[in-house]
Amino acid sequence: RGKMEEGEAYSPDEVFAHLEMLEAQAHEAAVKQEETEQQEEKLARLQARVQELTFQRDELRAKVDLQQKGQLGKEGVVSDPAQPSAQAVLEWKIKSVTAMLQVFYLTGISGKLTKRGVCFCISTAYEGTYLDSYYLDLLTKPEVRIHRHSVPIFIPLEQIAKKYLQTDIRRFLSVLSDHLNAYVGRRYQADQLQEHFSDHIEGTLQRNSLCNLLVFNYNVSSKSKTFPFNARLLYGDLCRSLPTEAVVSPPPDAPASLAETAAAHSDLFRRVALHKAFGSFSGAEES
Amino acid sequence: MDNSICQGYEDKIQSLEEEIKLLAEKYEDSQQESTFFSDEEILMSIKSFQREFQGGSKGHESLSDLKAQLESLETDLSFLMKFTGIQFTSHSKKTVEKTRNRTVRKHRLSGNCHSLSFQLEFQLLEMQNKESVSAVITDLSIIMEPVEDSDVSKFVSSIEEHGNLLTFFRSLSSYAEWYEHRRCTFLHFK
Repeated sequence: RGKMEEGEAYSPDEVFAHLEMLEAQAHEAAVKQEETEQQEEKLARLQARVQELTFQRDELRAKVDLQQKGQLGKEGVVSDPAQPSAQAVLEWKIKSVTAMLQVFYLTGISGKLTKRGVCFCISTAYEGTYLDSYYLDLLTKPEVRIHRHSVPIFIPLEQIAKKYLQTDIRRFLSVLSDHLNAYVGRRYQADQLQEHFSDHIEGTLQRNSLCNLLVFNYNVSSKSKTFPFNARLLYGDLCRSLPTEAVVSPPPDAPASLAETAAAHSDLFRRVALHKAFGSFSGAEES
Repeated sequence: MDNSICQGYEDKIQSLEEEIKLLAEKYEDSQQESTFFSDEEILMSIKSFQREFQGGSKGHESLSDLKAQLESLETDLSFLMKFTGIQFTSHSKKTVEKTRNRTVRKHRLSGNCHSLSFQLEFQLLEMQNKESVSAVITDLSIIMEPVEDSDVSKFVSSIEEHGNLLTFFRSLSSYAEWYEHRRCTFLHFK
């Protein structure tokens, strides 16, 4: 009921009800108006920010392009033509020495001197891929001893320390590094096998924490039939990432000819990294 | 009503902020990599810095901090070189690619280990995954001197083929010691 009819008389209640309704409508309209204004303000703020950042980004891009052009065709390094501040020079040197220390990480042994000794970092890698690194916090007085470390429990750290730590720290680190790199190398091969050749593997690949015992079943095709071979790889030398023993058994129902294949595979696993051996299988499937 | 438009702007803002961060890093990397100051220039800077801020001012504090930081780093570096026997004589790098998760840098490194000297060039790819940074070496090339041994050449070729930089350095130390020992022995008998 929004219109007052001409000539009719309305009771005070009807008038008040009508006024209330108009008030409510006005209030609603005001709220909506405010919402719209807020939205518009927000939008305007966001637009302005986008513009500001776009300008900043374009400026930086131009700066970087200019920098690149300035270096094209120039072999070697140049000093900053504008006389740099002493602070800038020192900051450059600090970054430069820091970069050199980071390069030591790539060599396998890096570290830093501490108040009471030295904290070594042993890095590991498989071919060109760097993997885990391990820390050894050594105290040097009154004698060399291990304060803290992150070497896994299945690596014979105590044994190695007992033999070399007091007499030849370099040798100690070298032997420890051999163990760690071999462990990480074995683990890497097993991981690669599971990641890239899961279709060749039947069931799960079983391994221990030290990754020096692997047992798995894998498929071998012969004359369009597949046979699940069983492989048991034992890595007897903890400083090596190739197995010392590789027992490969074809299933009982396999034709006699596959015994030769099993022997060949056993030989292959002892000479070639596991994932690379499987890589060669994919290349030359027997028919 | 304009929620999707607002979201669009907010996404754009985030992507611009990331781009700006990356560009700023690229600029700084490039500045660092194309500059070189000799040790004399470094010493001169320290001296001039000291003259500028003779005692007690805010500048003096930052100078002491920088000097202390540099000394600590140089002490660590000289310790590592002495301990491992690997002396790096020069190092330069150039950032070839840099995105949010991936950085590729070309490195040139030369040095020696006892009486053997080496020059290396390689590319280092660093990738940020969920919890860690992975590092992979590619395009490794090694020049060693002196090269008398065909065994050493074979060793170096195999290292280059597989990007086995870590093995190179680990073997370098022991080979260099043996080489030095042999050289001294021969000299002894001359």
